[in-house]
Amino acid sequence: MSLLLQVTANGILLGGLYALMALGLGLVWGVLNIVNLAHGAFIMLGAYAAFYLYTLLQIDPFVALPVCMLALFCLGFLLQRYVLNLIVRAPMFNTLLITFGFDVVLTYLAQIAFSADFRAVNPVYAGANFAVAGVTLPLVRVLAFGAALLLTTALWLLLARTRLGRAIRACAQNLLAARLYGVQPRTIYALTFGLGAALAGAAGDLYGVVSQFNPYIGNSLTAKSFAICVIGGLDSPVGVIIGGLFLGLLESLTALYVGPTYTDVASFGVLVLILIVRPTGLLGRTA
Amino acid sequence: MLLRHIATASTLLIMGASVAGPALGEPSITLGASVQETGPTANTGRYYRDGYEFAVQRINERGGVRVGTTPYKLALKIYDNQSEVNLSVRQYTQLLTQDKVDLLLGPFASDFALADSSVAEKYEVPMIEGGGASDQIFSRGYRYIFGTLPVASRYFESTVQALGKLDPVPKTVSLLFADDAFDVAVAKGTRERLQAAGLTILQDERYSSNTTDFTSLISQLKASAPDVVLVAGHETEALNFIRQAKSLAFSPKFYAFTVGVPTADFRRALGNDANYAFGMTSWLPSPQWKDDYFTNAEVFAADYRKKYGYDPDYHAASAVADVEAFAKAIEAAGSVDPKKVRDAIAQVDFESLYGRIQFNPAGQINLPQTVIQVDGGNVVPIYGQKGFLAKPHYPMPAWDKRP
Repeated sequence: MSLLLQVTANGILLGGLYALMALGLGLVWGVLNIVNLAHGAFIMLGAYAAFYLYTLLQIDPFVALPVCMLALFCLGFLLQRYVLNLIVRAPMFNTLLITFGFDVVLTYLAQIAFSADFRAVNPVYAGANFAVAGVTLPLVRVLAFGAALLLTTALWLLLARTRLGRAIRACAQNLLAARLYGVQPRTIYALTFGLGAALAGAAGDLYGVVSQFNPYIGNSLTAKSFAICVIGGLDSPVGVIIGGLFLGLLESLTALYVGPTYTDVASFGVLVLILIVRPTGLLGRTA
Repeated sequence: MLLRHIATASTLLIMGASVAGPALGEPSITLGASVQETGPTANTGRYYRDGYEFAVQRINERGGVRVGTTPYKLALKIYDNQSEVNLSVRQYTQLLTQDKVDLLLGPFASDFALADSSVAEKYEVPMIEGGGASDQIFSRGYRYIFGTLPVASRYFESTVQALGKLDPVPKTVSLLFADDAFDVAVAKGTRERLQAAGLTILQDERYSSNTTDFTSLISQLKASAPDVVLVAGHETEALNFIRQAKSLAFSPKFYAFTVGVPTADFRRALGNDANYAFGMTSWLPSPQWKDDYFTNAEVFAADYRKKYGYDPDYHAASAVADVEAFAKAIEAAGSVDPKKVRDAIAQVDFESLYGRIQFNPAGQINLPQTVIQVDGGNVVPIYGQKGFLAKPHYPMPAWDKRP
């Protein structure tokens, strides 16, 4: 019984980590209708930023979180403003192609700059854990879960309550009307993409503490985030949390009851099932 | 139109070829290889590229290879397979059909060697590879593939022997293995050895290659509490396993990993968490292994470090052994004809910085593994063919009780 509890706890914490990773992708996809295939590369860069801040300047990864977010925000803003903007009203395929190109370029630049060596951010508390009711909870994963909830709430508040958030949603809903109201789409798009990149940077920062990384982790992380966004639905940031938790629990329980080789089968199998049965995602509204 | 040109040009650039060797006009023998220079396994692939390059350069400096009375220089043509098996197969085919190289050197990893050796067999050009240990590679009756990594199914042999001699003797063991050619072969052989040694196998779990999350598995291990955990996987998996074991407070009396422990950046990434972990290596930079080109293994390690800026491990030594085996075989055959060289490789028997190079009838080398343990960030040889070389730190203390 306590094994089931432990595995469930593992699943929930894993889900929190997944949700954090998928948040940026979900925002950009839901609002800008851009599937950012370079999302994983942004996470990877966030991890490297945290790594170098930690090893060169001894800045704790949680303290470095705003710095990583800012750095990735700038990168995302510039990429959107000067490159992606050129094809923002083009068919979806073009955005997939360009973001794929970003992914390849960023990955190989990282390989050249950082080498293919495995890295990990290893602060003193990296392996710390505490026990609650017989269940061992790794400290960093709990903190990452907390960060995911915090960032999701902040994002939701931004979109629902602030002027900027309203402008972002307006651009997504009806571009012409938004422009008539004085919203500058170019700036809004760039800000949104930058925000998505900043969220990826935060995820990368924490990913580096929880797991090891190298320039090539991007692809599998993008695939996972993609699956989570589809499963959870794109209408609200809460959908990403639900999708992440669902996937985390599914993978952990599959590993326990079916076998560790079947986790990928289970997660992508569920993805296909959701696409057939409820294409807008668990939390999505039907059109 | 322009985009198409750009696409073609960039594809060729990405495929990338690096050539090392003699000036035009000198008689030369070209060795071709497709190695992981980029992609997820580039971290280990570079040992092969650098090892091949270093060996070719050193052999040329010492006069090259004598075919009859004529000295030939060695040349190297390397393609980057971007860690993709299908691309490496195409590149080996290209090396043979278009670039017309004379002989082949292998890639890293059993999955690659398994596929690429079929190309060598088809074109009847010998390939010596130092990166694939799986028994599958050598059990197909192929005549043109030779390997300098010890047999996968025997990887844990020394470890299991050492387990029987520890005090207190461990009774239960859990075996985890990834689902690629190498690790499946390791698990098959290890299972039999564990049963023969009288240990009870509590878990025998196969997991997906490149798994990043072991928390479920580790929780199961914690619940069943084995004395020993053996993990057959690659470097990323071993890294993740150890970090997650720490975060879940799981600490068996003994754990050993097939890959990672001897490699410097593995230990650097883990820091102190790497301590107490056991692993194995078929090579140590010891002066006892003398070499015709590099003086001995210790001098080789120092020279390699000076030239490339990082410490070599058994991957690099294995790569150098491949090139040396070709040199010796060509000289013994007195010819560069692939069939004659192939027969000479099968008969080769010499001492090198990597140990005694001699291939069994299936084409695989016969080298024992030395059990090693990490202590204070250093690799300490613990158990070899003749028994214990040093006292192991056993049993492993709980994470919160480590000094």
